[in-house]
Amino acid sequence: MADVIIRGCGDYYAPVEGEALPDVRALAKETLGKQVRRVGRFILLGLVGAARCVGAHAPPAHTAIYLSSRRGDLETNVEVMQDLFARGLAPKPLSFINTVSNASCYYVARHFGLHGRSLFVSGVCFSFETALQAALLDFEAGQVRSALVGGLDTLIAPLAIERRRLGLAPGAPVAEASHWLWLETGPAQPGDLVLEASEAFADRAALIAWLSARGTEKNRAGAGAISGRRRLRRDRRRGGPAPLVPLPRRARLL
Amino acid sequence: MKRSAFLGAGVHTALGAGLAQNIEALFAAPPKAGEAALQVGAENVRVPALLLAERPLDDIEARFWRAAEAVVGHAIAAAGLTQDEVRQAAFLIGTSSLDIAVSEAIYQRELSEGADAHPLTSNSTMGRLAQRLRQAHGIGGPEYTICTACTASANALLYADQLVQSGRVRHAIVVGVEIFNQITALGFHGLELLAKDGMKPFDSARGGLTLGESCAALVIGQARTEGFHLRGGANLCDIHGISAANPDGSTVADVIRLALADAQLAPDQIDGVKAHGTASLMNDEAEAAGMALVFETAPPICALKPFIGHTFGACGVTELILFCGMIERGYFPATPGVCAEPSDLGVRLEQKPLPIRPGVFQLNFFGFGGNNTSLVIANG
Repeated sequence: MADVIIRGCGDYYAPVEGEALPDVRALAKETLGKQVRRVGRFILLGLVGAARCVGAHAPPAHTAIYLSSRRGDLETNVEVMQDLFARGLAPKPLSFINTVSNASCYYVARHFGLHGRSLFVSGVCFSFETALQAALLDFEAGQVRSALVGGLDTLIAPLAIERRRLGLAPGAPVAEASHWLWLETGPAQPGDLVLEASEAFADRAALIAWLSARGTEKNRAGAGAISGRRRLRRDRRRGGPAPLVPLPRRARLL
Repeated sequence: MKRSAFLGAGVHTALGAGLAQNIEALFAAPPKAGEAALQVGAENVRVPALLLAERPLDDIEARFWRAAEAVVGHAIAAAGLTQDEVRQAAFLIGTSSLDIAVSEAIYQRELSEGADAHPLTSNSTMGRLAQRLRQAHGIGGPEYTICTACTASANALLYADQLVQSGRVRHAIVVGVEIFNQITALGFHGLELLAKDGMKPFDSARGGLTLGESCAALVIGQARTEGFHLRGGANLCDIHGISAANPDGSTVADVIRLALADAQLAPDQIDGVKAHGTASLMNDEAEAAGMALVFETAPPICALKPFIGHTFGACGVTELILFCGMIERGYFPATPGVCAEPSDLGVRLEQKPLPIRPGVFQLNFFGFGGNNTSLVIANG
């Protein structure tokens, strides 16, 4: 299989202090160049992270979307439940439709004009890693050549209740984030970050066995098979070319 | 090219708790839907529903877990997996509403007790459902909770197959669950998408859907010489609209064609199609138009939702299991009383089960959030 190269990364990360959540509507308008109406924070921050990830580039129309989240669009679900059970109001049609967390995938796809695969995946511990694995499976199978892979979780006011939901002590620091990678397949050039694997293991022994097997494989393959991160560090030392898409501010890959 | 084989299944729908009861019921006419009574403020609302057989709508918290856990156990037993094989198996669940029914019940109870009640404080983690089912059965491999609305468990099957085919796991357990909850019921009620008189997909008299409940599980593994296996599949995003496929059929045709290409088959090699068939005006229109674009001569078409209701995220695995069960008995499913004559959409459904030989079949699923999925399966 050809390499899976990290073409870009973009993120939104904001620790929330006090009770006021940042105004993401204004941020989305500024980032996207237009207003997205009648959607909540989850969809807006999904768009912001994905837009920062691709920057000035236009992802090809066949680009697939893999969005992961531990809690999904909890805000919309909480609002609908409060309306129904505490206020006796039926779900509003658009709010009901947006209770499906993959609505966020739809808005990202629509913004960039994409009609590739679309997946929303979650897990207790490894939501993003699972989304990455799903993308890698599709790359391996030749189903996908370009992918946006996101990890997104948002907060709901009041934060005291959020901390209860998250099992955190009163006053514990909390943050919102929308991190995305843009992956493309192709022969890696010097300086490219290559994504090699995202695997889950039943236990520590299985992880160690896997790492040992890969280490042996790498040694046999020689210096050409060093990891993307090491390759990037090496190329940076040698003044190698920058990634195709400049890593945007707050890039966390390094 | 053969992909993963279907090794064992468990299913619990309105038709019964067990594969045999479900298949037996598919030889009769679709059952009459019951009703569930809900309250919105001072207003009483009744919604058509096909609820799990033998699990009345009480003790919401317990009924869900018992039904879901049992079905996973049935599938593991039917596949004959050893404890060690279960420990290493992948677990993929496709669902639209997760365990929201349980969260609703807890929130309502807390409100009635006058407590400082807030929604989703008992569980706000989407993966908790998969974790609980995995722990109940000692399943230790990779875990996916896939939420792509009504395509969720069909998409779960596609990734389960890739985990098996890539050699990462020997077996995968693919689960679809959808349990009656008030948000979904009232959401569809508000969208005016609920049928007054049963689901009649593609029929000129179609008038919407019946809410369905299902827990279904399928164990897959490396290809074997006999029985059903996956032959190909595709999933595509449809940005025409968030709640309906493009009525011109173009996006439906795209995903059907891509699945056929993945299976290395031409349209005329398909022996039958299991349609999504939600009986809503728009979706049936898009689906009929899509099939007409791909198939020069339409193969036999069936729709299973008249029997079990729309089971949303669970319909992928549930309808796959029911369909395979019927074909293995030698019959293509029929829907007596539904779409007997070609309708305004040009689709006709069988009125009695049609004797059929092993072959290649296509199953289509479409969901909110612009998510379209098509599976190609074969036996023999």
